Amino acid sequence: MTPNEKDYMERYIYQVIRRLPKAQREEVRMELEELISDMYADKGYMEEVLTELGDPAEFAKQYQNEQKCLIGPEYFDTYLWFVKVVLICAAVPILVISMINAIGEMPATTSQNATLVIIRAIVDGLTSGIIDALLSCMSAFGAVTLTFAIMERKKIQLEMKKAEKWSVESLSEERKTPTSRWTPKFLEPVPDKKSIISRSDSIVSIVFIVIFSVLLIFAPHFFAAIFTEGETVTTVPVFNLDQWGVVLPVFVISLLIGLADEILRLIVGVYCKLVMISNIVCGAIQIVLSIIVLKVLPIWNPNFVLDLELALGDNADSGAKFLTYWNSDMVSNGLLAFIVVITLFEIGVTIYKTLCYGASIKK
Amino acid sequence: MGEEKDLLSTLLLELRRGTLTISVLSQMKEPKYGYALVQSLEEKGVAIDPNTLYPLLRRLESQGLLESKWETGGAKPRKYYQRTEYGTQIYEQMKIYWQNLSAGMERLLREEEA
Repeated sequence: MTPNEKDYMERYIYQVIRRLPKAQREEVRMELEELISDMYADKGYMEEVLTELGDPAEFAKQYQNEQKCLIGPEYFDTYLWFVKVVLICAAVPILVISMINAIGEMPATTSQNATLVIIRAIVDGLTSGIIDALLSCMSAFGAVTLTFAIMERKKIQLEMKKAEKWSVESLSEERKTPTSRWTPKFLEPVPDKKSIISRSDSIVSIVFIVIFSVLLIFAPHFFAAIFTEGETVTTVPVFNLDQWGVVLPVFVISLLIGLADEILRLIVGVYCKLVMISNIVCGAIQIVLSIIVLKVLPIWNPNFVLDLELALGDNADSGAKFLTYWNSDMVSNGLLAFIVVITLFEIGVTIYKTLCYGASIKK
Repeated sequence: MGEEKDLLSTLLLELRRGTLTISVLSQMKEPKYGYALVQSLEEKGVAIDPNTLYPLLRRLESQGLLESKWETGGAKPRKYYQRTEYGTQIYEQMKIYWQNLSAGMERLLREEEA
């Protein structure tokens, strides 16, 4: 082998091994040296040998038998579904909150035309909303992708539909004998069309809960009676902002429980025992928490009526005057009744649909 | 025309890929180094490109079907591969499977000709 040919051989080997993991390089280098010198001894021309071996990149590819993908086919459908849901649940609340924020920050006193101010506020809100939504969508996308990439590496089993199969019996039996082999018994009955939970309903609920939570946490002062009197704007907060630190956690826990229930519905996708139990439990907790928030905690601004009368002065019109009849007990009772009726109605619908069309009950 | 040729070569590649493991395992009762294996397979009419064979040998080793040893006594270091006991077990089963498969294929293709 001439020095020139040896140089070619080394170049070729380098082009292969630089594409391989470090731990393999030295061994592969020795293997290739052996192979190429054997082939050279057989054929007599280095060029012919290397031509036969072909593109070093292709050669290196043959060594890399591990799959080269971030998220494999096993997870891909679930991943796509997750990305869609997460992006919607990130983008919509941010857009809405930006709009509310922009309108809330409208200059109170201005010499300009009111419509112009409103249009400008909407444009500002849209601009910052779209930018924030894009940014948070990117991070949400990154977070979901990273999570799935880790699951792909670690081969974590993610059975989206497992929840449907759950039953009380599974606690005792399936834990002992993990059935990894597929049998026809795994086939779930085709869900009745009426038992399918509308995904868009769930997503709308999730988006609404997120918006409401964010506003309650970061901007409770938005819930207020707003008056414009000539050039000055007066806001009278509805909530008891002095005691907000006590009220907020309970409020947020209640919303989070609702959120958890909605997410479960979204993932399971059909009415079944699990969804029914979750709905009953979450509904019950939410009713209890509502009672605490509305009847026990100091949620309402105690000076609401006083402040209102002060703000209105004498020149209150009839619509605004109506607000002075505000009675926090009455409002609490009314709201509570409303929440209880809505929650019970939802639980009722869930129980009805589960018993009539539910996935795991109907054989 | 080009597409047809591409499709054919892809299909042939797929057809061949499955047979590589059993071809290699069949030759590994005695220790052999890579290029000797290339040549002996070629002589018997089952050509394998070296750039397919070498990575395959490593894979079979990592699966426990082959074991390797560097011989440094000769003019240059050579890596010798040999079937492990486990590799032999697997090979015997693959052989039976292959014989059934090829007998079945034979019948199918003859039927077509008749």
